[in-house]
Amino acid sequence: MKLNLKSLFTGIAATAIVWSASAAETVKVGVLHSLSGTMAISETSLKDVLLFTFDEINKSGGVMGKMIEPVVVDPASNWPLFAEKAEELLVKDKVSVVFGCWTSVSRKSVLPKFEQHNGLLFYPVQYEGEELSKNIFYTAEAVNQQAIPAVAYMLAEGKKKFYLVGSDYVYPRTTNKILKKYLQMKGIPESDIIEIYTPFGHTDYQTIVAQIKKFAGGGNACVISTLNGDTNVPFFKEFANAGLTSENCPVVSFSISEDEFRGLPAKQLAGHLGCWTYFMSVKTPENDKFVGDFMSWIKDPKVTGTSYKVSGVDPKGRVTCSPMNLSRMGVHLWKQAVEKAGSFDVDKVRVALIGQKFKGPVAEVTMQENHHLINNVFIGETLPTGQFKVIKTFKDVAAEPFSDMFLK
Amino acid sequence: MKLLLFLCPLLLAVASVSSRAADATAKFRATLVEAILSEDVDKQVELVNQLVDAEDELIARGLTAWRASELYVHSPASGAKAPFLLDVQPGVVGDSKGIRLFDGTPVLDPTGKPLTFNASSLTPVDNSSKLRKAIKTALDLFAIGNRDPHLRRDAVTKLGQARIAEYVPFFERRMKIETDKEVIRSLGEAVALTRATDADPKVRLGAISQLGELRSINSIDFLRELDTECKLNPAKYGEDTGRLVHSVVLQLENYIRWGTLVGTAFRGVSLSAVLLVAALGLAITFGLMGVINMAHGEVMAVGAYTAYAVQCLFGNGLLFSIFGYQVSLKGAGFSGGFFDVYFLVALVASFVTAALVGLGLERGIIRFLYKRPLESLLATWGVSLVLQQLFRHTFGAANVQVDAPGFLQGSLVVSDIAFAYNRIFIIGFAVFIVFGAWLLLTKTSLGLQIRAVMQNRAMASCLGVRTDRVNMMTFALGSGLAGVAGACMSQIANVGPSLGQSYIVDCFMIVVLGGVGNLVGTVSASAGVGVTNQVLEPWLGAVLGKITVLVAIILFLQWRPSGLFVTRSRSLDG
Repeated sequence: MKLNLKSLFTGIAATAIVWSASAAETVKVGVLHSLSGTMAISETSLKDVLLFTFDEINKSGGVMGKMIEPVVVDPASNWPLFAEKAEELLVKDKVSVVFGCWTSVSRKSVLPKFEQHNGLLFYPVQYEGEELSKNIFYTAEAVNQQAIPAVAYMLAEGKKKFYLVGSDYVYPRTTNKILKKYLQMKGIPESDIIEIYTPFGHTDYQTIVAQIKKFAGGGNACVISTLNGDTNVPFFKEFANAGLTSENCPVVSFSISEDEFRGLPAKQLAGHLGCWTYFMSVKTPENDKFVGDFMSWIKDPKVTGTSYKVSGVDPKGRVTCSPMNLSRMGVHLWKQAVEKAGSFDVDKVRVALIGQKFKGPVAEVTMQENHHLINNVFIGETLPTGQFKVIKTFKDVAAEPFSDMFLK
Repeated sequence: MKLLLFLCPLLLAVASVSSRAADATAKFRATLVEAILSEDVDKQVELVNQLVDAEDELIARGLTAWRASELYVHSPASGAKAPFLLDVQPGVVGDSKGIRLFDGTPVLDPTGKPLTFNASSLTPVDNSSKLRKAIKTALDLFAIGNRDPHLRRDAVTKLGQARIAEYVPFFERRMKIETDKEVIRSLGEAVALTRATDADPKVRLGAISQLGELRSINSIDFLRELDTECKLNPAKYGEDTGRLVHSVVLQLENYIRWGTLVGTAFRGVSLSAVLLVAALGLAITFGLMGVINMAHGEVMAVGAYTAYAVQCLFGNGLLFSIFGYQVSLKGAGFSGGFFDVYFLVALVASFVTAALVGLGLERGIIRFLYKRPLESLLATWGVSLVLQQLFRHTFGAANVQVDAPGFLQGSLVVSDIAFAYNRIFIIGFAVFIVFGAWLLLTKTSLGLQIRAVMQNRAMASCLGVRTDRVNMMTFALGSGLAGVAGACMSQIANVGPSLGQSYIVDCFMIVVLGGVGNLVGTVSASAGVGVTNQVLEPWLGAVLGKITVLVAIILFLQWRPSGLFVTRSRSLDG
């Protein structure tokens, strides 16, 4: 039975790549994002933007004259399956590079496979740092490109009490550990920092909100939220019902981008803050082009139709967000590095990637020696329309994955 | 003639006074317009600060609209940009006239006719939290004279926290004409708080003891600081003050402790109500009928999606797809009170829809599996997967938004404890449906037949009860209750394809803990689990609290495997 299932999956993957059989010379590229299960809501958008970017590059001549041929697999929000699928991509399909993973736990589970088979992975989602693999390039925001600037901003706004609430897994816990150290360094006493975690899918935020209300009585408190996904709905509903607003107690959320916003009650979130290296609302000609191109690509009947590589691209109410932008920039950085190295060989590309610059929609980024980017950081206030209004910009922040480097 | 000569200067004086007031108002309005059109946030804040003394209804409306993102700018082809707000008449649907902030006149088109606008097609003027804060302060000072006592009280409390001596005369002036008890209390609190560090020891002591009498929780942070300050530096305010402050702090802490206790009790009851509402349907399908119904959660989701659909039909219309075909239904376009009624309609509709789904499920699958519980487990699990996928295809993979009706937003505040209206509603609703289910099972002939069939199917059948029909009705009833639960949950949690999965484990836990086969057990089990959870959570945190409750349940079931209340019946024993 198991064997049958496996061949079924490969069958699906095979039909997925039939479209490109006519192309003369191609280079295989892996896409490792969950298309089913809990993470599908977030990760499907990344699959879409990757396919868009491949088309964008293929239209302008491909990578060193070769067309990109995506191999899309579905690890189904299942962490061990991520490792299996990664191995399959590297060993069976022999892809030159893989773009993928969202949660830190999925990245941790594929990391040994990439090191074992000397693969190349681009990771696009904000994460907790404290990791550096020679086989992974992190276009993602490190803690000092998201959490630290956001908290620094709250300190500058005169906030003196911090309530750290998060989902119970590695990213919130590590981030909050770093933030706590940072806050103490800035002279906030231990008693004015509260750290709380809730399980995935938690729906009862009564106690936590009552606690926040008591905590925020003096008017100088704020909430730093690393709550994931749809647990934000009951949290913000309870928050608004208790009479708390962005004026008497603002919430800074690290896991809510424009894309997550689509499933959240925008009215109750309005006025609260977000911090990312990209907002859809940033007005630059490059960003207008990116958003415009993506929107027309996704509405193309050829793309939404079943004949496309992976069907099921949903054109309704789409937005662009930071992880999507970082995914796309990763592809472009890889393309440039391949062309500089003159080869698809992982060891050569890895060297060529360092110092690679790309003019993205909202900033020119540079890949540093520590496999992370130099990028602009924006703090934005959420609007009832589901967009962010930029209220503060930090220029050219160099990502630093290890917290002891910036907590000196 | 003489009279006229006498009157003339008087009239002139009146005219000049009123024109001076008009001048001032016009100046304030010009300042507001300048602030709105300015691009620089700091300048905007500065300009808004200047508006504090403007006693003008239009400015207050303009600021309120700005803060709520309901202020727009009209840019005519020729002439200056004019900020305006919409003159929305309550109860009127459709476009409304725009009122220019500059002079309160309607926005006109080039031919001189008033233009009408629709809020959804306009882009509101930007604001930021810094600006909203400034607007709020300006409005606060306006708001001491607001008609709404709630807003008045908030304003006074906020101004009191600032502890600015200049405000005191305003407070005292207001206290003389104030009629609302809560506002008078807040005014007293604000004055006392401001005077708690007065140079005159008599005033100081009076103010501090008044804070204690008022049970002013808002001032606890300040008093604690004062207490430490008095301990570190007793000479500053004198020993009397130090002693008094300390005793007032203790008194207030005691009061807060009571508040927390009552708050925890309320939260416990409310969580119990949520669990009860969710599990009641299962208590019937699994508890009474013995069907291990893994699709219970998805039937709840059917109810929740029904609530969503009803909401859309009352509002802007519904768009969904069935097997790839787009279906678009036009909404009624209600707003305000009419729209709020949707929720009551949704409760009924979700019961009916879910009951029909349950009926179909029973007829189509479950009736063949009454003798094979394990197979019914697998079959209903399969059904749950099919339903989840159906939700995804029909309404999309992302969660949908079910708005809270007006009467379920906000909270009732009694002695500084907030009771959220949606929670109160769910508690009341839980009582209502449990009472309804009890009435149905014990006082109606259907209930009698249900109980008869559950206790001894063969005997009931011999006595002429159409057991097949009773099974069908019972399962439909249980499913209907699950559907109503789903509609209820839409007010506190997510509505999405996976709604059911997040409740199914809790539901089974409650029913098993309560003892399969009776409602009393389900009620007591949900009460027990809910309250224990809320009592433990502040100490252990949400994760550990939940684990502790689960461990306690496992241990309890080791001791009493049949749950809290044991029902003996042949069908269950068999």
